[in-house]
Amino acid sequence: MLVVNGPVEDAEHEEPGHPERPERLTAALAGISDLHLGDAMTVLAPYAATRAELARVHDGSYLDELGAFCYAGGGNIDEDTYATYDSWSIARYAAGAGLAVIDELDRRNAGVGFVAARPPGHHALRDRGMGFCLLNNIAVSAGALVARGERVLIIDWDVHHGNGTQSIFWNEPNVLYVSTHQWPLFPGTGGSREIGGYDALGRTINLPVPGGATGDVLLRAIDDVVAPAVEEFAPTWVLVSAGYDAHRSDPLADLALSSGDFAALARRVARFAPQPGRLTLFLEGGYDLAALRGSVAATLGALVDSDYEAEAPTSGGPGAEHVARAGAERILAIDLALETEPKERDPR
Amino acid sequence: MTTPQTIAIGYDGSPSAQAALLWTFQLARSTGATVVVVHAVGLLARFEGQGASLELEQSVGQLAEDVDFDMTQLRWYLSDGDACSVMLRAIDDPVHADLLVVGSRGQGAHAGLLLGSTSLQLAERAHVPLVIVPMERHLDEW
Repeated sequence: MLVVNGPVEDAEHEEPGHPERPERLTAALAGISDLHLGDAMTVLAPYAATRAELARVHDGSYLDELGAFCYAGGGNIDEDTYATYDSWSIARYAAGAGLAVIDELDRRNAGVGFVAARPPGHHALRDRGMGFCLLNNIAVSAGALVARGERVLIIDWDVHHGNGTQSIFWNEPNVLYVSTHQWPLFPGTGGSREIGGYDALGRTINLPVPGGATGDVLLRAIDDVVAPAVEEFAPTWVLVSAGYDAHRSDPLADLALSSGDFAALARRVARFAPQPGRLTLFLEGGYDLAALRGSVAATLGALVDSDYEAEAPTSGGPGAEHVARAGAERILAIDLALETEPKERDPR
Repeated sequence: MTTPQTIAIGYDGSPSAQAALLWTFQLARSTGATVVVVHAVGLLARFEGQGASLELEQSVGQLAEDVDFDMTQLRWYLSDGDACSVMLRAIDDPVHADLLVVGSRGQGAHAGLLLGSTSLQLAERAHVPLVIVPMERHLDEW
């Protein structure tokens, strides 16, 4: 059973020529349609996150300012990020979609959730939007789960490091944040020595890989570095920042994954969920529409046992040694941090 | 405050950034400080290609030539990220800036709001002195 949020009608978040565009959502939804799930899919009514739900992970002053900025007509927030009159409303629906999907999975104790919403969220900081992101959608859901006592694993396989999510949960011991990403690349964060704040040492895992890395490299990272940490953490929920800009066709980055690699990653990550109905994926990046459609279909097809035919998995690219080094550096950084006074550590 | 040794100037090619750069050249000439031109490489840089960076480099070179600034005092620092984060990074290794300079209004900024204003965001976060160069004066006056 696949549980998906409902689309938001009659609102525009669009800037001519910008790669983060409405057609991305159309492509992702087409990917879901390609699975022909019929009754095995539930589409929920749209739900907009309330201020209280957003304020778990965003500063109230930022929420006020973003709302006012949009209602004044919007504009460019930075060189990459835009907002329109409708963006405040659309961003609240994108942030609320995960909450609705998780509620439904809770009720069913079965199925897999997929949040098909935009703008994406994982770059949005507590007090600032950036990198195409206004509100941190996955963080809003993780924050809600943590507030009720859950232990949340976030796997972020978008090609860019999810600096916003990392920053928001930097000192949160009940969130394990894991990111695989191309390095160097925007936003310039995500080094392997970034391991979490003093209250959550080791709860951040960064596995940067070089351009050209293939799917086998990321699978090895999951198996060798992530799996042991997840076993120790024992999550009660698993959320995925499912960006598809690590696909070899994506115009914004240089990794070399295929849609079949995303299917393999999804199967691996699904094993971390403690029981059925505890896995939800959130759409992040992915700017080649055909690759996005095929990768969404491959990912969800793998999770609902569809016979969707994905591209062949890839292997042989660089990065295995980077993953091994990152894992070793992480252990060293944790040991060093434990010997360091809390006040000397740089809070992110 | 001690005399700055390394001045990081945020540069995106906007008129505001040009004014800030000319002001920085003037300060550096009188203090002997190194000027590090900082440019944030954003998500959209891939769409713009190498041409955009080359244009910026040429415009900095032209401004330096216009005011006869010693190019040996000039360095570049390109880093992935948003403008605010990259400027803050310039305080640390390898730039070690002890003074930050920005224009009052860069590309994509929205006047009067913290949202979209690199200069106001830096004023909140920077732990070294920050100069925000206003646009009220014409470029020629620097």
